[in-house]
Amino acid sequence: MESTQSTKTPTSWLSATNDVELVQRCRSGDSIAWRKLYDRYSPSVYRFTAALGVPFEEREDAAQDIFIAVYRSLRHFRGEAQLSTWIYRIAARHAIRMGRRRRTREMMRTLLSKETLPPVVDPREQSTHVATLDKMLAKLPAKKRTVLVLFEIEGLSAKEISDVVGCPENTVWSRLHHARSELTKVARRMAP
Amino acid sequence: MMWLQSPQDETEELLRNALDQAKERTGDEITHRRVWARVASPELAETRPKAPGMAKLFWACASLAALVGGGFWAYSTFRAPESIAIQPPSVPAIAKQPLDLSPPLDLVETERVPGQVVQSGAGEKMRVALGGGAEAELFENSAVSWDRHRRPMIKKGKARLSVPHQPPGWRFSVSAGPYLITVVGTKFDVDMMSRTVRVAVTEGIVEVGRGSSAIRLHAGDSWEGPLPSATGTTTVASVTPPPSPARSKVIPQEGLAAAHSALDTGDTQRAIAMLAQLSKGEGPTAENAAYDLARVTRDFLHRPRQAIQLWEKYRRRFPSGVLRKEADLSIVETLVKMDIHQAALTETEAFLARYPNSERRTEMLETAARLRATLAASAAGN
Repeated sequence: MESTQSTKTPTSWLSATNDVELVQRCRSGDSIAWRKLYDRYSPSVYRFTAALGVPFEEREDAAQDIFIAVYRSLRHFRGEAQLSTWIYRIAARHAIRMGRRRRTREMMRTLLSKETLPPVVDPREQSTHVATLDKMLAKLPAKKRTVLVLFEIEGLSAKEISDVVGCPENTVWSRLHHARSELTKVARRMAP
Repeated sequence: MMWLQSPQDETEELLRNALDQAKERTGDEITHRRVWARVASPELAETRPKAPGMAKLFWACASLAALVGGGFWAYSTFRAPESIAIQPPSVPAIAKQPLDLSPPLDLVETERVPGQVVQSGAGEKMRVALGGGAEAELFENSAVSWDRHRRPMIKKGKARLSVPHQPPGWRFSVSAGPYLITVVGTKFDVDMMSRTVRVAVTEGIVEVGRGSSAIRLHAGDSWEGPLPSATGTTTVASVTPPPSPARSKVIPQEGLAAAHSALDTGDTQRAIAMLAQLSKGEGPTAENAAYDLARVTRDFLHRPRQAIQLWEKYRRRFPSGVLRKEADLSIVETLVKMDIHQAALTETEAFLARYPNSERRTEMLETAARLRATLAASAAGN
């Protein structure tokens, strides 16, 4: 995750506090530090959950749940991994869980012959390649998709990804290789 | 070397472009402000309603059975009480309600202890305080009670609920039969009929949930769901989905995104026209649009004075709005940039008095000190 502010949320009071200090201050109930942490990581959390398939209308709720989970788990953060890696881990788990629930819900609706409501699409994404990419990524298995998103979109190294997903570095490379190859195949199939 | 750095064909080029665009998808400012309003006090925040353990187990078993067996047995099993899905909202019902011109009723305050029941008699109406500033108007032969979490429950009859905007991170919940209705700040009716529960939203957004299913109702929507004693009847099937043209009227959240989209494409005037239109509506979308209208006026039209007037208008209309604090801060920031020191100081002091525990307190104290120094220097110069 970038350690600089990438949206237009108020920045004038932000300083270059490092993550370890930020966590310590958050733990002691410092609300300024908590705001800093939020401002620093909320754009990445939004981008990451979107790329993992959280639909437009659920992204705010997902971000809310992830940041509450982050706050409640801060006392368990030992600083062995980077804060960004740790937040990615929480976000990935949450996004995958939401995806599972969503699929179950859709399946139940289909079984019960209920009309499925069409997904709400961010109009800004409609005319871009991102909407197409989301459809292609949806065809990949969750593990491969997570690795590909972390590497290609979030720009993490294989070592950092192995910390996020909890597997050896070699497995990361292998999943990445397969994910790239499958994504290219899907893209060729879906290409107009 | 980066993957697809030198695309071999159109497909690879599309993929490269898509990946690059995905890197820019970081959410807009208002999204981050709204989420912040909900996580600013995470120690107080409730996570969104989640399925209890048994319900989760049930859904897992039900899904497995459906996959393996399929057919009629699974179908009929899933129609059992626990699995009844939340139906799409029906639209609209509220507008037809007659205007109530009767004098306001006295507010009944109770201790709200678990198990306590407040009941209205035949031909009687009551106004009952539910806690957290919320109140219910009980129609005749209606009853409200409180569960062990001191959460209000509509026991029978019909109630019109009015819930003020909750502090960041807080949500107000009321149960009606097996359904949990969760709101941030709104007005809505709950009608416990003999076989069904009906929820009709007048203002704001309401979430009706049961187990892991939930549906969002916007202003103007109404929804009906069966009570356990009536499950398995044809009531469920009788609820019809909303006609599609009405949907754009009741979910203006999409309109807000469309306004941002117009802004992104450089069509500022269109974005402003859309925001102005949305801000005239009701509920959270109108609130977001009213705030954003001022921001766009300042940042894109470069009219800071007009922006301040719009934020002031926002404050008058949504005195306890989710973005109230952001509006106060935006006014201070704008006044400081315009070098209107006295007004900026007044606003800064008002902010400090209003939000003594704000995470921006230190910064605002520094701002106030700087403004005082500037004002003193200019007074000495004169």
